[in-house]
Amino acid sequence: MSKKARAICIDDFMARQLAERTDILECAWHKRQEEGGEEEDEDHQKPIVDQAQLDAEADAEDARMRARRVKTFSTSDGWATRERAPNEFEHISRWRALTVYLTWVVLIMFAYVREFLRNWGIETSHIKVELDKQKQFTPLFDDFAAVYQRNCYVRVRDVFERPIGSVPGATVNLLDRYTDDGGWTFKMKGTQSSVINVGSYNYLGFAQNEGPCADTSAAIINQEGLANCSTVHENGRSHSQARLETLVAEFLGVEDSICFSMGFATNSMNAPCLVDKHSLIISDQYNHASLILGCRLSGASTKVFKHNDMKSLEKLLRDAIAYGNPKTYRPYRKILIIVEGIYSMEGSISNLPGIIELKKKYGAYLYLDEAHSIGAMGRSGRGCVEYWDCDPKDVDILMGTFTKSFGAAGGYIAGSKRVIDHLRVASPTGYYSGPMAPPIAEQIFTSMSIIMGRDGTNDGQKRVERLARNSRYFRLRLKQMGYIVYGSDDSPVVPVLIYYPTVCGFYGRQMLARGIGVVVVSFPATDMTEARVRICVSAAHTKEQLDTVLDAMREVGKESWCSSFSRHKHLYENLAIEW
Amino acid sequence: MIGTLLGLFGEASTLHLALETALIGAVVYLYFTRKENKDTRVKLTEKQKDELIAEWVPEPLVPETPQDHPVLNPRYVEGKMTKYAKYDGKEYLNMATSNFLGFVGEKRIEDVAKKTIFKYGVGSCGPRGFYGTVDVHLDLEKELADFFGCEEAVLYSYGFATIASAIPAYAKRGDIVFADKGVNFAIQKGLQASRARVEWFEHNDMEDLERLLKLQEERDKKDPKKAAKIRRFMVVEGLYANTGSICPLPKLMEFKWKYKVRIFIDESFSFGVLGKTGRGGFALSFSPAPSSFFENNGQFINDQIGDPFHELICIIDKTS
Repeated sequence: MSKKARAICIDDFMARQLAERTDILECAWHKRQEEGGEEEDEDHQKPIVDQAQLDAEADAEDARMRARRVKTFSTSDGWATRERAPNEFEHISRWRALTVYLTWVVLIMFAYVREFLRNWGIETSHIKVELDKQKQFTPLFDDFAAVYQRNCYVRVRDVFERPIGSVPGATVNLLDRYTDDGGWTFKMKGTQSSVINVGSYNYLGFAQNEGPCADTSAAIINQEGLANCSTVHENGRSHSQARLETLVAEFLGVEDSICFSMGFATNSMNAPCLVDKHSLIISDQYNHASLILGCRLSGASTKVFKHNDMKSLEKLLRDAIAYGNPKTYRPYRKILIIVEGIYSMEGSISNLPGIIELKKKYGAYLYLDEAHSIGAMGRSGRGCVEYWDCDPKDVDILMGTFTKSFGAAGGYIAGSKRVIDHLRVASPTGYYSGPMAPPIAEQIFTSMSIIMGRDGTNDGQKRVERLARNSRYFRLRLKQMGYIVYGSDDSPVVPVLIYYPTVCGFYGRQMLARGIGVVVVSFPATDMTEARVRICVSAAHTKEQLDTVLDAMREVGKESWCSSFSRHKHLYENLAIEW
Repeated sequence: MIGTLLGLFGEASTLHLALETALIGAVVYLYFTRKENKDTRVKLTEKQKDELIAEWVPEPLVPETPQDHPVLNPRYVEGKMTKYAKYDGKEYLNMATSNFLGFVGEKRIEDVAKKTIFKYGVGSCGPRGFYGTVDVHLDLEKELADFFGCEEAVLYSYGFATIASAIPAYAKRGDIVFADKGVNFAIQKGLQASRARVEWFEHNDMEDLERLLKLQEERDKKDPKKAAKIRRFMVVEGLYANTGSICPLPKLMEFKWKYKVRIFIDESFSFGVLGKTGRGGFALSFSPAPSSFFENNGQFINDQIGDPFHELICIIDKTS
């Protein structure tokens, strides 16, 4: 098929667009790899000269790329010369995408068949029904989402919401449960089984029930109690939260910070304080639901730019400033760019230097959501800003959560004193919700001190390094097996693509049978054609545990053909990957 | 074969032929007119854009805050805020916090909390769907459901988010919500996020609510088919946070059955406070088992942020 005919097909077109608009550290090499690989599949339609030249280019690229990969990181070179791994998004062929859609069509067809059977009483119905006296009320759940939920989701429900009975560390005790009626209700067997936990966001391994963090959290209960029973402004300021806020500001290298008791609410309740209906928000395509809700609640106009694409962002900025607000025909009062450090579903790291450059050039403000990257990236765990060697004062608002790397709950916003003062006074969370509970604030305080090295040991530094080694090793081994893995090599979030929604249930159950608890996600959290297994590597995982997981994934991958998707497998064949 | 096709054409009535030609003509017309560019704004050249960009001056991100604002100079309490609160070494009688049942400082609860930390750690490291559901959560949900006489219960980790995410889960665009004007901020945010149509009625004014319900009934009569698809909800609080008044629940239940409206009750302040056994607004005035939704913004009474409290409900039953 000629290249022109290919361009009409949307998937390839988008892939090419994405690959063409490469900038500072995006996939320029990826585009050349694609062409190099596809040329081999072609039926020699191109003249021989081109072929040889392209092959030579591809080989040279291979060698360079392999050289980049084999350069294992070491702390001795000062980390300054280390190249950053690019974000990879390998796309599947159109035919496979078509088969995934076919799978969906079959699923939905069966869903409606079962609905029909259930309505006519041929199949026993376990759906919760209204109380008799409420039967005349308008039904609550009647639409397509409910049909999907009843017939597609319930069948694989045992893969989700698995209850645990211990601390969610490197291994976790799952409560064994079984279902008699196909997933509608679960009964507990009463036993627990220990599985390797690659699903929890435990990046630095602070989910521990012993150790200095647990001791200090328990000790603070005696001094400050468990709760204040009032809102933050009324009587809720506690010493533990004030100390924590000072420490967070110091950790990140900014002037001040403010902490909240829930990460989701941090985003959704504070965006309205920063922008109003006269402003513009430019957000990344794959931003989290909390950010999207915050944008919506603020009333500002919102534009979306392609994931991590600097050209798209620049074009949007230029048009926004030049044309202004189309509704009022006036210029926007301010522009806020919202991006994340690591995207949890893609595992990709955002191109922070590029964004900061654009922001300075056009006078916009930057809101960086480091929910997954704080503690997990950077040579001392200070997040994406440190990973890219940027200045934290360039980012106007640094936001993050404590749920992931610090083993607690809550969120923070850090920045200049002026911004934080405004948020303290204007944020509705101060007037209507409670402060952080003292044990939680203490847990974060202790874990952050450990990361900073304040406790006198180098435990924190060792954790950060272990996490980096684990993520690199794991990702390279997976790619060697032939899986398609999204994102950058340095991110501890590893989304492994399995594409078919039906394989999700299979994968989850097979991995559990092998003693590993994984997380599978499908529509609607991801695209319809891109169901994935999301693995969160942790500093608490030992190499042996990672090897067990990899072996299990190899077996399950063979059974489900998932490990044969990648066309770049040949690039890693001769690579000796050391931990 | 072409002959048979042409023959068929001849057999069809003129009206049929005319209709089909008109349809095909419409499709062809639309296909070609769709290509026109509807963008009516003036296109600027890059140079013009550069000039405009150089001129543009953004507003500062946040305005200046006066440094003597009381929020920026808070007082810190020393120790726990039980019946007495200690500021700067002096003890004051505490009439400011919502510690209604006096559980702050209760030794039994604190011991359980410490045991929990040493068993499960402090955080759950993940949402409920991904290995964040602890067996203690499930136990608590079951006990809450039994306590209220309901079928099931759901726990949220943040009080504010409970009602703010529960309302959009049920009320979508096109539905109607009748809300009291005195509801708290979290409910208001939930209503804003849900995109449903909100009809406000005067605080605790049942006549005003009846008037709105009757208006809606008339609208329904005009279009019964559409009315069958619209879901109706009513949002009230057991004990209003802003005004301290109690909602007249029997009258609301009467409206519920008459106008087929589902009730949401936010019992943040009435849970554990009203009623003989602390079951909130329902126990106070209406003894049969409730049949609508409950929302419990439990953080104010017993602060469940982060730490699951397994034994708390048992204690309420025994002390009241």
